[in-house]
Amino acid sequence: MAGELPDVPRSATVRQRSFPFDRCIPLMAKVELVRLSKSYGGQPAVDGIDLEIPDGVLACLLGPSGCGKTTTLRLIAGFVEPDTGEVRVGGALLSSRERTLAPEFRRMSMVFQSYALWPHMTVAENVAYGLRLRGMPREEVRRRVDAILSVTRLSTLSGRYPGELSGGQQQRAALARALAVEPQTLLLDEPLSNLDANLREEMRFEIRRLHDAYRYTTVYVTHDQAEAMTAADLIVVMNGGRIEQAGSPQDIYQHPRSRFVASFIGGTNILEGEVLARDTVALDGLVLRCREGEAEGERAAVSIRHHEVQLSGEPFGAETNGAAGTVVRQIYLGAHRDYLVALAGGTQLRASAPMELDLAPGTSIYVYLPPENCRLLAA
Amino acid sequence: MSSGEALATPGAALARAGPSSRLDIAGAVLVACGLFLGLLVALPLAWLAFFALTDKDGAFTGANLARLVTDDSLAAPLRISLIVATSVGAISAAVAAPIAWFVARTDMPGRNLVRVLITASFVTPPFLGAIAWEILAAPNSGLLNHWYRWLHDLPPFVHLFDIYTVAGLIFVDSCYAFPFVFVLVANALDRMPADMEDASAILGARPWRTAWRITLPLALPAILAGMLVAFLRSLTLFGTPAILALPGNFHTITTKIWSLFQYPPNPGLAAAASIPLLLLTIVLLQVQNRVLGRRGYAVIAGKAGQARLLRLKHWRWPAFGLCFLVLCLPIGLPYFALLKAAITTTIAEPLSLQTLTLKHVRFVLFEFSPTRLAFQNTVVLAVATATTGTALALVVSYATARRLVAGHRLLNFLATAPIAVPGIVLGVGLFLAYTRGPVVLYGTLWILFLAYLTIELPAAYQQLQSAFRSIHPELEEAGRLFGAGRMRILRDILAPLLKSGVIAAWCFIFIGVMRELSAAVMLFTAQTKVISVVIYDLNESGDLGAISVLGIALLAVTFAIVYLAQRVGGAGIGRTARPA
Ligand SMILES: Nc1ncnc2c1ncn2[C@@H]1O[C@H](COP(=O)(O)OP(=O)(O)O)[C@@H](O)[C@H]1O
Ligand SMILES: [Mg+2]
Repeated sequence: MAGELPDVPRSATVRQRSFPFDRCIPLMAKVELVRLSKSYGGQPAVDGIDLEIPDGVLACLLGPSGCGKTTTLRLIAGFVEPDTGEVRVGGALLSSRERTLAPEFRRMSMVFQSYALWPHMTVAENVAYGLRLRGMPREEVRRRVDAILSVTRLSTLSGRYPGELSGGQQQRAALARALAVEPQTLLLDEPLSNLDANLREEMRFEIRRLHDAYRYTTVYVTHDQAEAMTAADLIVVMNGGRIEQAGSPQDIYQHPRSRFVASFIGGTNILEGEVLARDTVALDGLVLRCREGEAEGERAAVSIRHHEVQLSGEPFGAETNGAAGTVVRQIYLGAHRDYLVALAGGTQLRASAPMELDLAPGTSIYVYLPPENCRLLAA
Repeated sequence: MSSGEALATPGAALARAGPSSRLDIAGAVLVACGLFLGLLVALPLAWLAFFALTDKDGAFTGANLARLVTDDSLAAPLRISLIVATSVGAISAAVAAPIAWFVARTDMPGRNLVRVLITASFVTPPFLGAIAWEILAAPNSGLLNHWYRWLHDLPPFVHLFDIYTVAGLIFVDSCYAFPFVFVLVANALDRMPADMEDASAILGARPWRTAWRITLPLALPAILAGMLVAFLRSLTLFGTPAILALPGNFHTITTKIWSLFQYPPNPGLAAAASIPLLLLTIVLLQVQNRVLGRRGYAVIAGKAGQARLLRLKHWRWPAFGLCFLVLCLPIGLPYFALLKAAITTTIAEPLSLQTLTLKHVRFVLFEFSPTRLAFQNTVVLAVATATTGTALALVVSYATARRLVAGHRLLNFLATAPIAVPGIVLGVGLFLAYTRGPVVLYGTLWILFLAYLTIELPAAYQQLQSAFRSIHPELEEAGRLFGAGRMRILRDILAPLLKSGVIAAWCFIFIGVMRELSAAVMLFTAQTKVISVVIYDLNESGDLGAISVLGIALLAVTFAIVYLAQRVGGAGIGRTARPA
């Protein structure tokens, strides 16, 4: 297996001025992780991950803090060596237990959470650094730096030191530095987490725009689901060092396969009940038919999003999936109303209802959970 | 206006009812501290200036200062001092920076051992190191020269090394100055966000390139600051040049100042000779502040991730070998020399069972009368200084870190000002200030106490102030909301958080007092000798065996205290959380 490693240039061959990239990584940059694991002090940080990110795709690693996103990213970058498993890019084996290709040979770029801009260099010098390393002539470096600085709208700030930039400008400078070298793979570690909400939204589209312009394979780490939904082609939800589910944003949102994914993404009710049939669960006077998923064992959980629950002052008249309840709380949110409803046995449901439905707490109400929106979840 | 006052009254009344009466007492304490601190430095320096600028009859004269330039017996030592200090600064940086990099950034084996050995050279009193090198490399009796002659079958007086030269002085000085650079640089590297280097690696930079273009520039301020510290230490050091330069028949500025107090004393000239030392120190400390305080280097420090260690591969052991060899110079060889001198009758004898003797131990412990008194004096002074100094530093640093009083800037200045006064200059100033009325302290332990307190205060103050700064004021405010007064908060919240810092400060003052020679050598009398002075005296009489026994005892106590400080004081401080 180690034989598949690209031929890492040894000291004798390094004398050449230009960078020996072509000898390292094929140009196609499909990123594959195979049974990848890494433990710290016996605690798995990344626990047997299998993932394939096609060439030119922007993939988001999404998950709560501490779930192993950064470790996964650093495994891809080669900063961390795997305990087991492999990292392959474009089919070439870059990391395995036996051998890990050093980060500097991977044709990757990374935007760090802290930006890691070098404080002793100006913005232009920071951006030019990677190009100079490639032995590019001065003129060419200048041209490329100018180009990328204008794309990232930093042209007027090129002579500034990082300490003299605002958070958003630093972030753009870090992005410019990473993009200037035209990497095969771009890695981003929570690049927006230090920015305020407005700027974050703007930069989200900015990153997507730049990705569409250059089409690098991009791995984007975030804990913010909105960020992932707007930016990604492929969302990879992680939990406890494992991948819970990977798919398109729509797929993840509409067809969550596990309780964790359902509750981590979007507002969701999770209802646990007794299994009556492979597609039917009963709880608290409510018989739920589910169009999606299959129940196993005696008890199962059903997920339905807040906005998919229907509310009415009158009974719905459907055979299943409906029940009567009481309004516990109602919040006016401008575009809609947010209801908390208690069923007869005390089970609580959250639902968004149109503005017109205005029922005071304590009044009785009818809920309907359409079968096509009810999903049976694995464990 | 009046309605505003009416509104303000209830709040003001509430505030006054609480802990503010205690604050008034605290205010008085602070004023007293301020006055005391002012006197501590101002009085000796005022006398120094007075003596430098007046003649025997008290009339103003520039003659003393003029002689600094015209009289080559004064100008030459100053020149030599500058040459020595500059060389020491450069050599220290050249040696310490690579070692710090190996230790902080590579997978060199034995990194902890190297750190321990450097700590050992850090706390070794320089005068002891100088004496040990005398044992090793004095032109005739030196062990190394002895071995050299024996190996090559050469006649007596042929020698390989002569430690009694400017080069020898520079060498020995550097041995005990480079740890200062090391500590600053290693600290900077430890704190440097690993991201900075990773960012370079992922863009394709080979490790040496990253080290050269990223790590080195980022560590440069620390290296420069370290060079300045080494320079200043060397410039103001008394013990090493006194031991090495005087037998070599040359003077540095510190030994010159000292000699001006020998018979016939010329205090005016000594005071004048102290002035350039004082001014240079003040200027360079200012420069150092500039260098370290350049905001750009600190502000956008990322979160401190765990640094990836550079794989040295087959260079691992050579790198370790190099560090180890370097550390043989301040530690390995000198300690061996001291040990050997302590247990053999004469230095040149080969080490064997027949030559082993307890003669020196017996002499020092039971026969040599000054020992007991000196030990007693040293311990009394060390405990008194450490306790007073820590208490004073604690109160003042609390006031300045929390800006409790209007004059906190002045207090801050007063507490750090002694840094700029070299030990020997302070010795001269104190001598001049307290040998005549109204307060005569010369000949008592009090004058040594004042000297030590002045010398050791700034370091303790700075350490405690940074400890206070690291405790967020909101921790205290949370306590105050529950109705606790300032003193109560000090006891319940601050004291536990500060404990380790306080213990460390106490220990460092203690060690500092034990190894201090520059000021003590100006101020001691027969009844107020301390260990360092006894060692220095014994060196004059050439009793190296006894010195070695005393020196080893001094080292043993020092190491015990350092160990204690690290065990009790080191835990819990400076641990940074890993980013999520
Ligand atoms: N260098 C390290 N040393 C020890 N533990 C680590 C290290 N890096 C990560 N971990 C642990 O691995 C887990 C995953 O961390 P990380 O990948 O940083 O999570 P995320 O980026 O998703 O917040 C955490 O429990 C963390 O404490
Ligand atoms: Mg992270």
